[in-house]
Amino acid sequence: MTTHIMAASENPLIPNGWEMLITAIGFSILLFVAVKWIVPMFERTYAERTDAIEGGLAKAEAAQAEADRARDEYNQQLESARLEAQKIREEARAEGEKILADFKDRANVESARITENAHTAIAAERSAAVASLRNEVGSLAIQLSSKVVGESLSDDERSRRVVDRFLADLEQNPTDAGAQR
Amino acid sequence: MDITGSLSVIGFGLAAIGGGIGVGLIFAAYMQAVSRQPETQRIIQPMLFMGFAVVEALAILGFVLALIF
Amino acid sequence: MHLPPFFEIGSFEFGKHTVLILLSVALIAGFFLWAIRKQALVPSKGQYLGEIGYGFVRNSLGRDIIGEKEFRPWIPLLFTFFFFILVNNLFGSIPVLQLPTFSHPGSAYVLAGVAYVAWVFIGIKRHGFAHFMGKMTMPPDVPKVLYVFLIPIEFISNLIIRPVTHALRVFATMFAGHMAIMVAAGLLGYLVSEVGGLGILGGAGALFLGIFIFFLEILIQVLQAYIFTLLFAVYVDGALQEGH
Repeated sequence: MTTHIMAASENPLIPNGWEMLITAIGFSILLFVAVKWIVPMFERTYAERTDAIEGGLAKAEAAQAEADRARDEYNQQLESARLEAQKIREEARAEGEKILADFKDRANVESARITENAHTAIAAERSAAVASLRNEVGSLAIQLSSKVVGESLSDDERSRRVVDRFLADLEQNPTDAGAQR
Repeated sequence: MDITGSLSVIGFGLAAIGGGIGVGLIFAAYMQAVSRQPETQRIIQPMLFMGFAVVEALAILGFVLALIF
Repeated sequence: MHLPPFFEIGSFEFGKHTVLILLSVALIAGFFLWAIRKQALVPSKGQYLGEIGYGFVRNSLGRDIIGEKEFRPWIPLLFTFFFFILVNNLFGSIPVLQLPTFSHPGSAYVLAGVAYVAWVFIGIKRHGFAHFMGKMTMPPDVPKVLYVFLIPIEFISNLIIRPVTHALRVFATMFAGHMAIMVAAGLLGYLVSEVGGLGILGGAGALFLGIFIFFLEILIQVLQAYIFTLLFAVYVDGALQEGH
């Protein structure tokens, strides 16, 4: 039994030279094929796949960047629009204030002018009144006093002198200042 | 019934005990180490096979000697 | 035990072993070239299968062990080692073929020799001969006196035992697995045909043993291909590394 299985009488550790040669040849052929074709092709496929995946990632990143940029731009526009609006509002307010101030100025000038006119008119009327008053008061007083003292005062020359003196007295007297206004 | 055969094969059987125990210990220690710290696996693995090869060398030498003598 | 060779040229026997080696080369090259022929970004089923195999060698054997920076030039060698050994080992479990090529020692010696030359060569090229020898034989952080013992031990262990066990590991497991199935089959035949009667029950036990060993063999065949390539990667990594 044993002998029939271990028929190989020679030591199994001793190699057969031809087997070694054929193994070496087979191995070399396979190694050559692997170096020349199999490994480069697989590596290229791996690299391409990595590229494709990373390319996809890069594309997504680009799109993301684009979106970010658009959003920034939008925000910027919004910001500038807001600034613009604020500026316009500011300008309008300034304009309004200026117009208001202008009108106020003009109104002031107008009122000053009117006041001036009024003053002038008042002064003119007053001087007219004073003049007429002087005449009338003089003649009235003369008449009255001529009636009191008789005909002596009918002389024009004298009567005018008396009236003048009287008026001068009137003007000098401070107690009568109120009547002048 | 006669028992025939080579006594050196029994010797190889004995020699294989040592190698078997040694390889078993090495892999047990490896599994423990890796289950405790899985991140060290890549550092330990080459050492594992280095040690495994050295220990198993004894059993293989026993095999060779069994065939030679 | 061996089939007679199909024909002979001088002392060269063109037998099953030769046919299987050439068949494995054709199978591997054919499959991977077929799988990657389109180089599609979105892989078809065939390409996906090829990429799983290639990616396994590239990433878990190459990148994880040799390291991100250095592993690219080593991919073809790792790839060839792994699939050459894997397919040739699996031939041992395929009916009719039924011969793991590496149960013939010559094949294992050649592959381990190629691996040995490759990592010693790259180590010497990278570090210079003297430095490489120091790296291999003088472990760091050891009291100086111990070097008297350590240098010979490390020399034998790293530069002699390493390639020998590298070759013999795959050879021995294939040879022994092949033999174990043959023993189970022989036992079955013996019990059924020669003993008979109650022996047929024992034959059923032998059958189960044989089936069990068969599946164990498949596991070991895959594992040995992996370990061979992994150890090669570890040796290359050790030769490339700076430091000790």
